[in-house]
Amino acid sequence: MTPRETYRNKIEILQGTLDLLVLEILRWGPQHGYAISQAIRTRSGEVLQVETGSLYPALHRMEHQKWIASEWRTTDQNQRAKFYKLTAEGRKQLVRGRSKWESMVEAIGGVLNPDPQTEG
Amino acid sequence: MRFSKLFRAEDSKAELDEEIATHLAMAAADKREQGSDPATAQQEAQREFGNTALVKDITRESWGWLWLERVLQDLRYALRQMRKSPGFAAAVIGTLALGIAAATAMFTVVDRVLLQPLPYPHPSQLVKIHEGDQGSRMLLDAPYLDIAAWRSQAKSFEQIGFYTYPNGRNFLGRPGQSVETSFLEVSANFFSTLGVKPQLGPGLSAAPESFAGSPNADTVVISDSAWRTLFAADRGVIGKSVQINGKSYTVVGVMPPGFIFPYDAFHTVQAWAPISLNANDRARDRNSMATYSVIARLRPGVKLTTAQAELSTLQTQVARGYTDPEMRADARHVRTTPYTEGLMEKSTSHALYALLAAALLLWLIACVNATNLLLARALARQREMAMRGALGASRWRLTQQLIVESCALSGIAALLGAAIALTMIRLFHHALKSHLPLPVPASVNLPVFACLAVLTLFSAILAAVWPAWIAAHAPIEPALKQGGQQSGTSRAHHRMRGSLVIAEIAMSLTLLAACGLMLRTIYALRNVPLGFRTDHIIVVNLDIPTYRFSKINATTDLYQPLLDRVSHMPGIDSAGLMTDVPLGRTFIMHIEINRKDTNGDNATVAAFFKAVSPDLQRVFGFQMLKGRYFNAQDTATSEPVVVVNRTFARAYAPRERDLGKVIGLQVMKLVNGKQSKQATIIGILDDFRQRSVDQPSHPEIEVCLPQLTPDSGFYTVLEGIAMDLAVRTHRPLAQVIPELRSALRQASPELANSNITTMDQIVEDSYGSQMLAAHLLEIFAASALLLCVAGLYGLLAYIVNQRTREMGIRFALGAQRNDVVWLVMRRAGVLVIAGVAIGLALAFASTRFIRSFLYGVSAHDAWTLAAVAAVLIVSGAVAAYLPARRAAQVNPVEALRAE
Repeated sequence: MTPRETYRNKIEILQGTLDLLVLEILRWGPQHGYAISQAIRTRSGEVLQVETGSLYPALHRMEHQKWIASEWRTTDQNQRAKFYKLTAEGRKQLVRGRSKWESMVEAIGGVLNPDPQTEG
Repeated sequence: MRFSKLFRAEDSKAELDEEIATHLAMAAADKREQGSDPATAQQEAQREFGNTALVKDITRESWGWLWLERVLQDLRYALRQMRKSPGFAAAVIGTLALGIAAATAMFTVVDRVLLQPLPYPHPSQLVKIHEGDQGSRMLLDAPYLDIAAWRSQAKSFEQIGFYTYPNGRNFLGRPGQSVETSFLEVSANFFSTLGVKPQLGPGLSAAPESFAGSPNADTVVISDSAWRTLFAADRGVIGKSVQINGKSYTVVGVMPPGFIFPYDAFHTVQAWAPISLNANDRARDRNSMATYSVIARLRPGVKLTTAQAELSTLQTQVARGYTDPEMRADARHVRTTPYTEGLMEKSTSHALYALLAAALLLWLIACVNATNLLLARALARQREMAMRGALGASRWRLTQQLIVESCALSGIAALLGAAIALTMIRLFHHALKSHLPLPVPASVNLPVFACLAVLTLFSAILAAVWPAWIAAHAPIEPALKQGGQQSGTSRAHHRMRGSLVIAEIAMSLTLLAACGLMLRTIYALRNVPLGFRTDHIIVVNLDIPTYRFSKINATTDLYQPLLDRVSHMPGIDSAGLMTDVPLGRTFIMHIEINRKDTNGDNATVAAFFKAVSPDLQRVFGFQMLKGRYFNAQDTATSEPVVVVNRTFARAYAPRERDLGKVIGLQVMKLVNGKQSKQATIIGILDDFRQRSVDQPSHPEIEVCLPQLTPDSGFYTVLEGIAMDLAVRTHRPLAQVIPELRSALRQASPELANSNITTMDQIVEDSYGSQMLAAHLLEIFAASALLLCVAGLYGLLAYIVNQRTREMGIRFALGAQRNDVVWLVMRRAGVLVIAGVAIGLALAFASTRFIRSFLYGVSAHDAWTLAAVAAVLIVSGAVAAYLPARRAAQVNPVEALRAE
């Protein structure tokens, strides 16, 4: 179980889910903060727009928890940026997060669509 | 928390800044690609990002160590503020330091004297056992046979030990070094009863006492300080020999440092030797029986009441062993008291607690004053706080900053206060030592330090939280508006400050009342007629090396030649010897005289017993009521005579109205033996103060020194232990003292180091604890008054300052100067009257705690209370004068123009 995190500002995403999204994005390779927020936006079809006030604290927090590691690199545009990448522990956390999310979806689905005939 | 990041704080922050800057740059770049121009792209990117500063702040906070950085920042700011307004800082620090110093100093004394545990394990189990008639309140020591009976039959005690002081002054030393000390003879199980082992050596032999001579009779255990002084802490000291009163003893142990027994400061016992039982312990013979002080340890879990009951039952049997009916009556009752109880009189401990309460009251006043100052300051900084709030500081952030400021102030005040407290203890060390029965510290130890820390914390909280809360919760807009300074203060705020000042005045009145009562007591004490003259008298407290003079006739060989020599010194009017000068308290001998009651019953009169030389009356000027004093005709061969005082005469012959008839009564034998005659009373002295100035006279018998010979039973106790030489002279002290010392040295070398003082000084010292309490209360009360006046002045000055515009308007509308002055004075008057009223009630309720100190004045004395109230009212008027004058001098045009 991921420990409960408290966010200072209101976020539009369930607690802990932001972490999950970030870890998933990073599964595809190291990225910097701007790219991560763009990726979330794009892949959710412009629905999810992460506030930077939530993203950066989350990134720093996950770094402290050793789920991700950071290093400064230069981008293609010759810009120096801080890239984050997934660690082994982060990978495990991702798996855990995914299964937690799936069981949550199932649970909510069970409440919203009670159908005794269809069995999952 | 990421402490590792703390040390690279600047790096981390720079990194974050760069990261965010990069984000913004990339976002702007993307927007430019999508077609916007650079300026719009930048703006849009920024807008999408949000509040950069806030994001940075939140992220940094998630690092976890930000609070520390903020506190440091606040601290730096606080120090800068202090530098900017040093007057204010000095006022607050000084005020708090005063309160903290007083409370810490008093607490140090109380902690050491009252709260410190005894240096023995489980001291609550230690009890003293005395025999004695319940009614007579006399606590008697027990003879060995009784102790043996208790040991074998009483089940409640784990161990019963006993000890005794050998008679006379004792000198402990090695060849070439000799120091006067106290010396105790103890039972074999004494140290195991106390539960303390020597740090070096095996200690005294554990073989129980027996009537057969023991080979260990000449062994001794010495104290740690004696070991250091005499043997220079030589670890091979066991087996070496040391001299006590000229006799050689072998050292078998050294006690650990800090071990004291008996636990009082009057006797510093440095050596303990085993008791040797002898013929005097075999029987319970009234004249020769030796008695011992008993200290016992209860069995774990046994209550004192159980032990007392068991001993009482046992004692009725033991008492049957007495043949003398009088002694049996005394021995029938036995009393156990916890060892801790008898160490100090209740009145002294109550007084100490009362003084501690006074010190805490002063601290409270100081805190209230500091709060007032900080409140005023917070009000003045309203605009600054409002500005910060508008810029985004949270309420908590503002409060935190103010708290840090006040903690800084009280921290500095605590350091200053500790220094002042140490100085005060040092200054009063001499006075404390002579009036408190237990050793007093000269340093700060752990409990005191903890107390200091707690006081500081409370001062900070008390003085800061309130103003901080107000400042932080003040509404922002009104403060930012123009003219906000003048209108921002609410009535509630004024009322609060006013009530603080009233509280201060009330508490100060209480302290002043206590001080006033003490001063009156001192005045009364000083004016008590002592019954003898005290001017121009030099007193020498002779330390008699008893063991030296037991072989000689001290009267003829020591004292008479000394007297002759001193009397013939130039400028000496008269000289006399007395076992103990009045109020001297160096040595008091008691004696019980039998008298036949008219019913035929035997009754006793307990009296002080002194030996005096005939010339003493010329030195002190004692008043004779009847008969005559001793004169040159009273010698060893003439009729034995005594002189008594009026109290004795009344007690001895209560039916006799005419004191003249008491003359000629026979009282006692000076010399034992069939041929010797009883001594007759030849004179009755008017009563004079003996023990202390405030105690009534005690019966006293004086015998003539030349009449005492070594045959007399009283020879040793009256001459061989202590003797005071009193010399009346008109020459200045500095000239006479060296001549006196050489005369003493000629008589005997040890006497040359005797303590020389004057009768006036002895009287002064005898006022004892009252003087000390009076001095302390003077300091407390004066400080409290000062703080009060400062507080009142501060409040009034502030009010006038706030209301200058209003004053200006009043003047413009036609008010006279006097009206405005009256306005200010009225405000001051209300505060002072309210404070005095509450203070009188408080003083009435609390002065009875110092009742035991008072003499000649009641705790609720109306004159004192009235005088103190008047002092406060006058001080209030003085405090109000300057602000009132300033109000009256307000120029209406300027006042209206300002702001």
